[in-house]
Amino acid sequence: MTGKHANIPDFSDLTCTNLMIRLKMLLKKTPPGVPVACYVRRGQRDTIEVPFARSGYEVKVQKADAHRYRVSLTKKETEMDL
Amino acid sequence: MNPHFFLLGGSLSQERLAWIGECLKFYFVRLNPEDLLHHTKSHEGVFTFLLTGDALYSLHEPDTARIWEIILGLPSVRIICDRHELALRGISVEGLKMKHPDQILNYNRLGVGGQASFWNDVARIARQHEQPVPSTIGYLQLDSPYMHRSSLSALKCLTAALEAHASVEFYAYLDGVHCGHHGQNPTEFDNIGSGLEEISEKAAKRGLLCQMIACSRCAAARGYNTWDDGQGQIVSTCTIKPFRIRNLNEMIDRFAKNHIILGENVASIQMKKDGQTSSFPLEEPGRSPPVTVLITTTPYGTERAFGGVSFAIACAAQGIPTQVIFIEDGVYALAGSHTQETDARLFNLQEVIDAVAGSRNLELFAFQPSLHQRALAKNAKMNAVLDIGMAELGQLLFYPPRGLQSGHRRLIIF
Repeated sequence: MTGKHANIPDFSDLTCTNLMIRLKMLLKKTPPGVPVACYVRRGQRDTIEVPFARSGYEVKVQKADAHRYRVSLTKKETEMDL
Repeated sequence: MNPHFFLLGGSLSQERLAWIGECLKFYFVRLNPEDLLHHTKSHEGVFTFLLTGDALYSLHEPDTARIWEIILGLPSVRIICDRHELALRGISVEGLKMKHPDQILNYNRLGVGGQASFWNDVARIARQHEQPVPSTIGYLQLDSPYMHRSSLSALKCLTAALEAHASVEFYAYLDGVHCGHHGQNPTEFDNIGSGLEEISEKAAKRGLLCQMIACSRCAAARGYNTWDDGQGQIVSTCTIKPFRIRNLNEMIDRFAKNHIILGENVASIQMKKDGQTSSFPLEEPGRSPPVTVLITTTPYGTERAFGGVSFAIACAAQGIPTQVIFIEDGVYALAGSHTQETDARLFNLQEVIDAVAGSRNLELFAFQPSLHQRALAKNAKMNAVLDIGMAELGQLLFYPPRGLQSGHRRLIIF
């Protein structure tokens, strides 16, 4: 998992369920308001975007290259229920 | 009408049969006491146990046979035995049948070709839940072929489903993906790969649908994913033609539909009361059958426990109300403090449970009797996993989630 940015992990080799687990682990350790960012593939982006946005996370997606996206998730101050 | 059924093909331990029996008692004593006073005369029964494979030994072994006697003492319970598998094992159920002649069925239904098969009974029961016709029957396969006889059950089940004019779906998960490897050439066993291909061809000839989906995570781990287009479409050069390797979410999409999905050890618990109509479109939100995943194996010896939890996480993420119950040896996932070697790619099951705790549509439970039986205590950090006893287990299985309109609950034993 080599990131395009030194501090941003590249999760594009993870399966969608494992990506979700990995992100939830990171989000649990991260205080509200602080974004968690990673690089993912297009299929992974679709898997992340809806469930997290629906559950009170702010989701930002930027295209990084042809097949990769930089996703940023921010836990809002209100209680999460994802 | 068969409101509830258990299809059991794996080894049926005293512990498992005991909690199943207690759940049935809960159903009759707490939820339907009138049935205890007035035995339902329905030939079909309220609970049907479909027994095949090694589960049949439970009818013979003294410790489990004793529990079967108690279960058969409850009203409207019947057991349908796989006659071929009984004969293969040399097991006789005549003694039990003499005591309970109306409840033990060891003659199986004839198929279109005049051949009796247990799977004709299974297909008939599975098909009844789907109105109006035509219907679909799915099969979740967790084990590899040849090492495990369940793969043959899958073939027989899907063949019987086609005979019953149902479309069929095969879901290959964990080692189940090996069922779709091309070039299988067993000399002493039915060819599972060819069998699946024949099922696909038969379905096409009969104008029925046939889908065979393999989990991409499981397939990748086992070397099947030879080309990935980067958008979720994976092409493999080593699978049979009908097999499609797809993201687990695509498989879970099928579980969101209302058809019956069978497997080696599964159950279907009816959720609707008699008299309610089944006029909802299958895709309607809130219509997805809730899923109860029972984690019954130790956490690290096989992939089953992690596979079960991953499967449940994926179900919940797709909007399916999902319960995970750690029971039998599955409670080892909750005991002690698990430590994984430092590796960014790996995580232990307790970390996974902790990470997904509180997720929408996902509830986690620890079955206390299983912990007590093993002299285990739940790790205090696993406080998102709620302790349950026998009564709570009965409630979880038989009470529908609030606002849910699904016809049944899927119970899958991992």
